[in-house]
Amino acid sequence: MKTRPLKELLQREGATLVGVGDVTQALTSELIHLNRGIAIALNRGLSSDTNDQLERLQKLAEVWLKERGYRSFSIPPDSDRRKDKLITKLYHLVSHKTAATCSGLGWIGKNGLIINNTYGSKMSWATVLTDAPLHPDTPVSGSQCGECDLCVRHCPSGAVKGYHWSMVDPRQELVAYDKCRSLKTKRHGFAEKPNCGFCVTICPFSRSRHKQKHG
Amino acid sequence: MVDEAKKKEVLEKMRNGVIQYDEDACKEGAQEALDLGMDANEAIFDGLVSGMEEVGRLFEAQEYFVPEILMCADALYAGLDILKPHCQQMDIGLKGAVVIGTVEGDVHDIGKNLVKMMFDVAGFNVYDLGRDVPLDKFVEEQLKTDSDLVCLSAMMTTSMVGMPKIIEKIKEKNPDCMIMIGGAPTSKELADKWGADGYAEDASNALKEAIKMVSFLKKLRDEKAGKK
Repeated sequence: MKTRPLKELLQREGATLVGVGDVTQALTSELIHLNRGIAIALNRGLSSDTNDQLERLQKLAEVWLKERGYRSFSIPPDSDRRKDKLITKLYHLVSHKTAATCSGLGWIGKNGLIINNTYGSKMSWATVLTDAPLHPDTPVSGSQCGECDLCVRHCPSGAVKGYHWSMVDPRQELVAYDKCRSLKTKRHGFAEKPNCGFCVTICPFSRSRHKQKHG
Repeated sequence: MVDEAKKKEVLEKMRNGVIQYDEDACKEGAQEALDLGMDANEAIFDGLVSGMEEVGRLFEAQEYFVPEILMCADALYAGLDILKPHCQQMDIGLKGAVVIGTVEGDVHDIGKNLVKMMFDVAGFNVYDLGRDVPLDKFVEEQLKTDSDLVCLSAMMTTSMVGMPKIIEKIKEKNPDCMIMIGGAPTSKELADKWGADGYAEDASNALKEAIKMVSFLKKLRDEKAGKK
């Protein structure tokens, strides 16, 4: 099944990147029938309506699939903060990183975030799982971080360990999240999801685009 | 007098909304039902619950799996939230309060939540203790709320073993309280052995059992309405 009409629709509606990945390998038995992951990314910083925009795009994808007789299960951008519904219990079974890497839109950087060749790790992601037999894109082969260790050296809490991510061992912990969290809590009394964001802004992949645009 | 054709259309909308896990359709349908002046109980049972009955069937036929069931349940809740405030308490000879929770050491609560939903639908006052609930908490809550029914859920053999202790304590303090147990490792035999009054097998069966219970209530209601 061709993916172009769906991708074009979503891009026309504002998606920066859209990819389709075969996510079979990463699924648990509850979700195994929904083995295509549609990764949708927006590059617009964390504006207040980024999540709303992503959810609007997810809804469009759902409708598109439904019209063609297929099922979908959307994992919202802020899935970790959703507690209001029954389905939220299943959100943790799939990460946006899975769909993004399987659809070749990015690799996981040393900073533990999805890095896209063009946009770096500044994007916001959402995933739609479906049983539609969409032709999958080529998955990412590995990390392109290379020797760069800017995020490792500059992390204020020393949380970035500096390991290379690979598809072979996707569960290896790249970032000591408790350290990352503790800094924010200590300095700012911040109870919500803590991101100082330094590892995002310092990443050359995030910055190259910025320079082009404003340079 | 409510327009019969229109009424049917609205019920169908809610039913399909649940089956196709379309929250917006359920909300719209529920609102339309109220606007038409339909009886809220009727809208719930002949619209939302009728949809969930079909979902139970689809699950059994392995057409639907856990994610679909949960999304259907969310759609049902979306409609229920609108209709519930307009419901009349059904007189079924019970006080209609139930304590429910997943026992200590167990965090699997999908089945428990589905059962809870059907109790919500049936108009019970549900005291949901959540998951990983300390054993004594069940006993305390039952006494505090004077509930008719306590439902214990477990998915792991290791946490299931707490159940007989709770049953014994509750029965000791309040012999009239009914107790239902459920979850993958439990069985009818265990329920009997431990002195529980009811049993539901696992998430899918819990849903089926709960649907059966609610369908039964629906029948009672219809019979009663017929007698009037």
